[in-house]
Formats: sequence, C-alpha cells, structure tokens
Amino acid sequence: MPSTPLRRFFFPSLNKKYLVRLVFVGLSAYLIFGYLLIPLRIQGKSMEPTYRDRSFAFCWRMQYLFSQPKRFDVVTVRFTGRKIMLLKRVIAVQGETVEFREGKLYVDGNLVQEPYVIHGSDWELAPRTIAPGHVYVVGDNRGTPMARHRVGQVDMNRIVGGVLL
Amino acid sequence: MNNPKVLLLMAILLIAGGGLLFLPGDEKKIRNNLASFAEYCSSIKEEPVIETLQKAAQAAKLCTDPCKVQIESFKIDREFSQKEISDRILMMKKRLPNTNFSFHDTVIDIPSDNIGEVLTTLRLHGKTNGGSFTDAYELNITAEKKDGTWLFSSFTVVEFIEK
Repeated sequence: MPSTPLRRFFFPSLNKKYLVRLVFVGLSAYLIFGYLLIPLRIQGKSMEPTYRDRSFAFCWRMQYLFSQPKRFDVVTVRFTGRKIMLLKRVIAVQGETVEFREGKLYVDGNLVQEPYVIHGSDWELAPRTIAPGHVYVVGDNRGTPMARHRVGQVDMNRIVGGVLL
Repeated sequence: MNNPKVLLLMAILLIAGGGLLFLPGDEKKIRNNLASFAEYCSSIKEEPVIETLQKAAQAAKLCTDPCKVQIESFKIDREFSQKEISDRILMMKKRLPNTNFSFHDTVIDIPSDNIGEVLTTLRLHGKTNGGSFTDAYELNITAEKKDGTWLFSSFTVVEFIEK
C-alpha cells in the first residue's frame, strides 16, 4: 500500500522523533490544561443565561497574575481544590459598599445597571462594605430566592482565575 | 542472577513494594472511609427501604458516638449520637432521592498517631423530575483512631462566602 500523508498521519512510524514529539505534546497538554487553561464543565443554573447548565468554558489562571478582579468579571472560586469550583460574577470590590433593593444592585449608593441579568428578582440585601482582600460575587440568575443562591464576599485567594468562552 | 544475595534483595524489595501498595496506611484507610461514607449517603432512584435503612446505619457507624457537627448557616453546632446521625441521613435520603455524594480534592493531615484532619469538597449531584441539581460544600472533618479503626468525630462546613 502506498504511504499517503493521511495514512502517515493516522499510522505514523514509531521512530525516536515521533516518540519525542508525542511526549512533548502530552506534557504540554498536561501543563496547559492542568494548570493554565482549566476546562470547566458547567453544572447548575446560577450563571444563566450567560453560562448555561451543561455548557463548557475554560478557566484562564493567568488573568489575575498582574491585576485584581474588577466589577463584572466572571471568576472561578475554588473550594479545597480545582476540581470543583463556583462560577460567579464580581459585582463589588474591596472598600465598596454593596446592597440590593427590590432586586436592583447598588454600589456605594449608586444604581448599577446589569445588562446580563434577564430574570428580575425581589432580592433585598442591607448595605455592607467589602473587606480588604475580598470581592463580592453573585450569580447572573436572579430567578431563584436569595436564600438559595450562593452569594457574598469571598477572599481573593479563593479566586482561581477568569473565564474564557 | 544466581547470586542468592541479589535474589534475597529482590524478594525483600518486592515484599516491601507489595506491602506499600496493598496494605493501606492510615491516610488510605481514612480515604476509604470517606468513599464508603459517600456511598452510604448516596441513594439511587426507588431505593428499597431496607437498603436505605442499612446504608444510613452503616454511614453512622463510620462516626464516633457522639460526633460533632457544625453548620453555621443552619445554626447547627452540637454533638449528635450515632442514632441521631442515622436518623438525619435517613431524612436527607428521603428529601434527596436519586442523589450522588462524592468527595473531591481531599487533603489529609495526620498530626498525631490517633488524629487525622481532613479538608475536602463534598459534591452533591441529583436528578429530579424537572431536571438535575448540583451543590458543593467545603468540609473540615476530624478523624479519630479508636481501637485501630478510624472514625469521623467531627464535621464542620467551611463557610467561605459571607453574605
């Protein structure tokens, strides 16, 4: 049988050069997808409609290497490791005062428009000032009662990275 | 290869390697208990009642009597007897049928011979008639070795998001 490029692609000869290439690709994939660009399988509806249940995204860990999370950034928040993480949106940063009145977000007393919020809510949250080294995170889906929604200030050390896609 | 000293050394290495692989150390035993605890708390769709009762009792047997439970957001901070733990697990199974419990990113520290500190993430994934749900909690668990058996003596939910 003639050696076509397609055949060579699927059935390469197992020479030393090929094995070195294979190890390089394997190592690169392990480092990139294990430490830099972590694949995320989204489960749950707390970030709908921006990120839908069972959709897919990546966590870019370098995003906050030289900068701090800003308002409206979508971030991943870790539990004990990186296998299970929360996907949330930053709505206020350290030193700011956050509150919800009739479902509307106020930061430092000023109404903040949230174009990513589709489902209206009746959320009420008394004003609170974000502690140093913390950010206030919340999901985009406000269709569920606030008591059932995981929302609040979180230590920035818990933020693993930003979200791509 | 016929040198008896080399053969003896190889045999010792094989036995030591096998021992390390197959005889579980304390950390492995705690991990196995966590996996069993998750399995006993999980429930399948239309689980037979007798199986549910057995699993709840087996889960409770992995805990000391009493066992301390702290969940700040639910205002729970007290010791539970094994019977109470079994009853609570039964109630939970009734409320969350068809739900899988699993532990991830588990870190185990054994500061002394009889105490183990476990930091882990509990993931719940369940199916309901309308779809599915997922939830997760960070847990700080203390394990105590009693008569050679590791048992969980306290569970604390780490509340790292402050509303």
